Amino acid sequence: MNDDRKPLSAKAKEVGQRIGSLRDFLEFLEENGQCVTWSDEVYPEPDIRNVAVAAGRDANTGPAVIFSNIAGYPGKKLVLGVHGSFTNLALLLGHPKGTTIKELFYDIISRWGDDEPLLDFIEPEDAPVNQNRLTENFNLYELLPLYRINEYDGGFYIGKANVVSRDPRDPDNFGKQNVGIYRIQVQAPGEFTLLSVPAHDMGRHIMAAEADNVPLKISVMLGNHPAMCMFAATPVGYEESEFAYASQMMGSPLRLTKSGNGMDILADSEMVIEAELMNGVRTLEGPFGEFPGSYSGARRIPRFKITAISHRNDPIFENIYIGRGWTEHDTLIGLNTSAPIYAQLKKDFPEVVAVNALYQHGLTGIISVKNRFAGFAKSVAMRALGTPHGTMYLKNLIMVDDDVDPFDLNEVMWALSTRTRADDTIVIPNMPMIPIDPAAEIAGKGHRLIIDATSFMPPDKLGSDSKIVTPPAGPEIDEIAKVIQLLQNGGKS
Amino acid sequence: MSLCPRCQSANDQIRTEHKGLNAQGELVWTIFHCNACEFSWRDCEPAISIDYDTREAFFRIDPKKDYPVIMPPAQYK
Ligand SMILES: [Zn+2]
Repeated sequence: MNDDRKPLSAKAKEVGQRIGSLRDFLEFLEENGQCVTWSDEVYPEPDIRNVAVAAGRDANTGPAVIFSNIAGYPGKKLVLGVHGSFTNLALLLGHPKGTTIKELFYDIISRWGDDEPLLDFIEPEDAPVNQNRLTENFNLYELLPLYRINEYDGGFYIGKANVVSRDPRDPDNFGKQNVGIYRIQVQAPGEFTLLSVPAHDMGRHIMAAEADNVPLKISVMLGNHPAMCMFAATPVGYEESEFAYASQMMGSPLRLTKSGNGMDILADSEMVIEAELMNGVRTLEGPFGEFPGSYSGARRIPRFKITAISHRNDPIFENIYIGRGWTEHDTLIGLNTSAPIYAQLKKDFPEVVAVNALYQHGLTGIISVKNRFAGFAKSVAMRALGTPHGTMYLKNLIMVDDDVDPFDLNEVMWALSTRTRADDTIVIPNMPMIPIDPAAEIAGKGHRLIIDATSFMPPDKLGSDSKIVTPPAGPEIDEIAKVIQLLQNGGKS
Repeated sequence: MSLCPRCQSANDQIRTEHKGLNAQGELVWTIFHCNACEFSWRDCEPAISIDYDTREAFFRIDPKKDYPVIMPPAQYK
């Protein structure tokens, strides 16, 4: 159970009810000045990449960008940066512009869970995604305005698809149905590779299908409800449903329907590609500019064959710029990476105040905790390394006191400057590590760093001159800061 | 189109995947795919992506080399 659960605000409910699809969200963003249309002609390369990077520079306020005039793709639309800024996330959750990351973090925590799913099931013939249906002559190069995301990528990538698969050994189990984001490289007009590893739910499904030599069918959802993308990228438990989490966060029903190959899919997505694993086939894939900001190399990976495609009229292709940070990838998954680590720590250590794992999927994490006794923060750090996400990702951990906002790097640096003793850093060598850590000496292994930047507690001796100034702080000061910002902007927020 | 920009495989390894047309039906670009190294490219891309000599040598692919296999297929174990 989630002890932090709070009822949604009226505004959050209103936004939840209004947004049922990507299109609804784009309209809402546009009304709030957070979605712009780039109507000048662009070439797929390098123009789309250039515009995406420029638009995404400001992680706090950058807009989504719709491309409506792509050379060689008359009439086709592409959107990037839908989750590209914290302002866009704030609007999705029913908050005003200017909401802090910490406020968003606590709001997401208060909505976290899957015990009260809100799912409506509608008939496939009533689902907008089925307005058009293709059963042969597939050509992804024609249907989608594809382009090379980074200059040395091995091909054209679909980077923000939400892929639905079912456990081939338990195909009727709704909870074991997985929705995840996996990078997809188009390998032929009707075939693609999909990168997963054994640790992913999808990887388990692929291995089971090949071991038993049974078909593995998947549905690739493109242009989805914005909450779906956030949870497709969240590591929830194997038997938990991403659909349930996403609907619960929005506090409003998600509309599901059945795909032609038996998956539950979002009824209002722009496009759903149905495909089947080509058992035993591996195809050279990559390189691909990945989230740590470096290319992951070429590998032979599983390949899928398209069996049908459904799409709305004039589908909008939603994709992502990913590469050296800050990018949309960081905003999309940052808070949803932080929240489960917080929830898992909080069970054992109620002293944990907040977790910031925004940086490169949590390769660096900052945890704020109220020390119970000397050295306590180090114990919490060890526990964080043992959480499901921490096991593979939390490479550098900075522990700060409860009076430090882990989302405010100026405060974190203050804690590092004033509260760290060099012998309060711990290196744990030869730990497991995601294979794409660019600093790894051996891919798949790495060292962990814990910096305890919390203050002294008895029986520790206090440092000299350690009495801290307490400048005014709290909601009242936060409010004044917003007023000053308003004054500075001439009354406009 | 002559050689693959990434592995220098010859013409017989290269497939024409798709031709992009403008609203008037005129050819704007063509997408190719190399059967040997699985590289896909559009003929109007900047040289850094599609010119063998401009590309960083680090990113060349030798199709005969063994690349790591993700989840080796069970039936071949
Ligand atoms: Zn080649």
